[in-house]
Amino acid sequence: MSQYAFLLDLGRCIGCQACVASCKVGNELGIGQQYIELIEKTHGEFPNLTGGWDNHRCYHCGDAACIAVCPTGSLFKEDGLTRLDRSTCSGCSYCTEACPYDIPVMWEGKSSKCDGCADTVKAGGSPWCVGTCPSMALEYGPREEIRAEAHRRADALRNRYPNAQVYGETQAGGLGMLVVMPDDPELLDIPIDPKTPFMAQAWQKIVQPASVGITIGAAVVAGAAAVVARRRHEEELDELEAAGVISGHGDEKEQEEDE
Amino acid sequence: MRRSESFEKEVGIVARVKLDITRRAFLKGGLATGGLAVMAPTASIGAVNGMLNAQDPWYREGAIETTYNVCDVCPWHCGIVVQTVNGVVRKIDGNPKDPKSRGMLCARGQGGVSFMYDPDRLQSPMIRTGERGSGQFREVTWEEALDYTAAALLDIKDKYGEESLAVFAHTSGDHWFADHFAQAWGTPNAAKPSSSLCLSPRDEAATLTYGSAVGGHEPVDWDGIQAMTLIGSHIGEDARNTVMQDFANAHARGAKVIVVDPRFSSVAAKADYWLPIKPGTDTALMLAWMNVLIAEDLYDKAYVAEWAEGFDDLAAHVAEFTPDWAAGITDLPAAQIRETAQVMGANLPRAAVIPGRHTVWYGNDSQRMRATYLVNTLLGAYGREGGMYFNKSAYLETYPHPPYTVAGSSGGCSAEPGEETAELPLGPTGKARADGVRESFMRGPTAMQELIDPMISGDPYPIKGLIAYGVNMLNSIPNPQKTIEALKALEFVVAIDVLPQEHIAWADVVLPEATYLERYEDLLTVSHRTPYIALREPAVDPLYDTKPGWWISRELGTRVGLDAFYKWENIEEYIDKRLISVGSNIEGLREEGGIITQNGKPYLEDFDGSSPFGTGSGKIQLYSQDLAEAGHEAMPVYEPVDEPPTGFFRLLYGRSPVHTFAKTQNTPVLHDIDPENEIWVNADAAEQLGVADGDYVMLENQDGARSGPVKVKATERIRRDAVYMVHGFGQNAPGLTNANGKGASDTKLQTRYKLDPISGGAGMRVNFVRLDKEGV
Ligand code: SF4
Ligand code: SF4
Ligand code: SF4
Ligand code: SF4
Repeated sequence: MSQYAFLLDLGRCIGCQACVASCKVGNELGIGQQYIELIEKTHGEFPNLTGGWDNHRCYHCGDAACIAVCPTGSLFKEDGLTRLDRSTCSGCSYCTEACPYDIPVMWEGKSSKCDGCADTVKAGGSPWCVGTCPSMALEYGPREEIRAEAHRRADALRNRYPNAQVYGETQAGGLGMLVVMPDDPELLDIPIDPKTPFMAQAWQKIVQPASVGITIGAAVVAGAAAVVARRRHEEELDELEAAGVISGHGDEKEQEEDE
Repeated sequence: MRRSESFEKEVGIVARVKLDITRRAFLKGGLATGGLAVMAPTASIGAVNGMLNAQDPWYREGAIETTYNVCDVCPWHCGIVVQTVNGVVRKIDGNPKDPKSRGMLCARGQGGVSFMYDPDRLQSPMIRTGERGSGQFREVTWEEALDYTAAALLDIKDKYGEESLAVFAHTSGDHWFADHFAQAWGTPNAAKPSSSLCLSPRDEAATLTYGSAVGGHEPVDWDGIQAMTLIGSHIGEDARNTVMQDFANAHARGAKVIVVDPRFSSVAAKADYWLPIKPGTDTALMLAWMNVLIAEDLYDKAYVAEWAEGFDDLAAHVAEFTPDWAAGITDLPAAQIRETAQVMGANLPRAAVIPGRHTVWYGNDSQRMRATYLVNTLLGAYGREGGMYFNKSAYLETYPHPPYTVAGSSGGCSAEPGEETAELPLGPTGKARADGVRESFMRGPTAMQELIDPMISGDPYPIKGLIAYGVNMLNSIPNPQKTIEALKALEFVVAIDVLPQEHIAWADVVLPEATYLERYEDLLTVSHRTPYIALREPAVDPLYDTKPGWWISRELGTRVGLDAFYKWENIEEYIDKRLISVGSNIEGLREEGGIITQNGKPYLEDFDGSSPFGTGSGKIQLYSQDLAEAGHEAMPVYEPVDEPPTGFFRLLYGRSPVHTFAKTQNTPVLHDIDPENEIWVNADAAEQLGVADGDYVMLENQDGARSGPVKVKATERIRRDAVYMVHGFGQNAPGLTNANGKGASDTKLQTRYKLDPISGGAGMRVNFVRLDKEGV
């Protein structure tokens, strides 16, 4: 099976959000649903500044933590992409916890993230975001070709940005999105070494041994539901506190986290 | 490799798979072929497996119909391919054959589908029932609305003369009203916001200097440029599709980028040099650049000798304007001023200061733009590879009509460079433009904001009627409080629009227009390096009871006795007839992929020794005799602008890449991505004021005008003496359910403007605001 990948060239990306809009329209995403987010980053003090855009979108990890924890198989690998079948998603929201890049979000009770436009590509198109990017910061193709192009671009970029580099060759089992970065990933708050949460690793050990029966599967889903319920409870408390109905909850949570 | 070449290769592949998803070649050869061979299915779309979601994606719901069109979400006018399934428009992509889009689109262009299906659209003709401003109307038939409008227009003509009708128009149908209807009718008071609220200083200064306007698409020769200077141009935020593409390629190629901006914009973050200039001092900077270019012998001597006149005057003029002098004014280090001039000089003639678009800043804007062109002349940029090329207009005959009653003067970014005649054209009752041209300003297209006063005062003569087509009056003309007074004083206002914009509530008649996706349009003739003609054909029938602008113009024209100007059978016949002059017709244009390209004459050598400069002498005017004779400085000087009062910041404004002017804030998809604007405040200044990032504040200007609550963006990315917001938010239009009341309006805080005495432009960066935590 061929491995495909995206190229994201942050030397070129200018934060115009054409990709965001094309993705929303081409995939007919709902109100409030968005697969790409552009986050402005700034370092230094006026007037000695550097900055750029974190183009926050699924990295299509080789070892995808989201897949490891997905109890329903809604997240899965195909041609190097991490795909998402929202129709079978149970809404447990475990992937949102596990992803080291904080990518999936819950939208209308189900996971929501870039599906790599796999179907559009099969139908003979290119991913919607790639097709429109006016800066030609996005490309899509066989991973090896993309990798070579990423290196060509990073090499050229070094004239201007000595620290230019390709990100994604090794992270999380090798990403399905190779990112040309003008500088170190930390400057965009992107982890050099993305850590899969311990929880996800543990799950892998339970779920991955393929012989796991339906009963354990169900227990796993129930366990996830409990975790999610706990988190929702926390959120509700936060909201109540923000509204001035209760007080002191945030402090309590901070203490918890300190421990 | 030019992208467009690769796109052309792509078209065949796209057609073969019948999913007309415009696709880009990835790399020449290799991946494009390899990748697509794997990806392209041989079976028809319906047979492709792998659909995972319960609902089929739109491109599997039925056959895809493709139509050609020209994007109308912003005035850049990218060529597009519209994909429709079962009578519903689903996706818009760039037309690979179009010289501007080259197959790609910006966020706003992508939002066109959503713009069209916005449920808040005007759906039926309406006649006012309540007070002006109440927004109370009754729905009527087109027949009734048009008869009523025609009677009112004729009444104004009888009582006051043709000149007492003003026509304000914007968007791509503006020609039908501000040019064709207004000129046939006989009013010289037709105006487009793209002139005096945007481009007039740029294009008048260019005409005075080079003998021709810059034209809509800045003719920067991006392919070869080695040093580009952007002054207040925010590529990436001001998201002109082609400019973003060209910039990205030039930047990746290693061209030097110098950005002059009080704000660390998206493009400043990509610059080699960012000059965080004190607002309003740009001319001082350019004078110092010229000083360095001349003093250090870094200018193109041969070019200046051959093509320019007035060099000795200029050299003497700038001798005293050293970098040290400018440093004190601009708040920039002298060394940085010198170094950036040296970078330009080292790269000439592949170096240019980009003219930019919105140029009405401080009222001294024509002189600032002149300074831009003088720097470019020293760099030898105009007509040179890697500098600035010459635009050429597309050749296409007009549809025959009787001579117009009055010559046009609306200008606008789609207009051909106009002739500036000594005598102002007069309307049928002997009256010239009421905007004060020749008195309060020297020349240029009709200044929209200068027609507001005559509507109220009746001076120099009464303006009593208004046709407002696609122009968001209360969110574009400065001092909207006064515009409301004018709307109250007018006897008759007809508004033609797609959306219930704020000013609609003040109209007597509202005529709902079909969007660009639902109508034919007159052919778009684009002045460009390779001039071209583009087709707009409807993808679907008009929604609701809406009609195309050309139809409305014709129905009105016929009703007021101008039928001789609308003698075509139908719009297809009109288009076909025009296309005969280039040996084509609608069908032929479709077969060409929606675009017919002609040859341009971009460089000096294409003129075989004759001068391309339309000045009297055929030389670039470094010293402008025309300006001197009209009592203006013949060469730009630096004039200080007013400082912010204590406790106030200068109010700067700009663009979001997701929105056009005040037009798209309600568009569901675009609103979803960017629902409100923020006020950028320097982080230290914010801390001193006790406001934090994310807080909401009110803004109050020097005259007490207040905004609604707006979110603070406390950032290092802006100087301490200015604040910045994206234009177009803070609309007070209850019919716009998404946009109403979201964010703050810069226009409502612009109670003042400074008139450019040369071009009639309205400088709007002369307002100051303070942040107020009370009342949020
Ligand atoms: S479309 Fe391209 S340049 Fe624009 S934000 Fe997306 S990746 Fe960046
Ligand atoms: S980035 Fe997150 S959501 Fe995407 S594949 Fe990796 S783990 Fe999954
Ligand atoms: S690949 Fe497709 S789904 Fe993913 S971000 Fe791009 S357009 Fe959206
Ligand atoms: S720049 Fe964007 S909005 Fe403007 S015409 Fe092009 S695609 Fe449309």
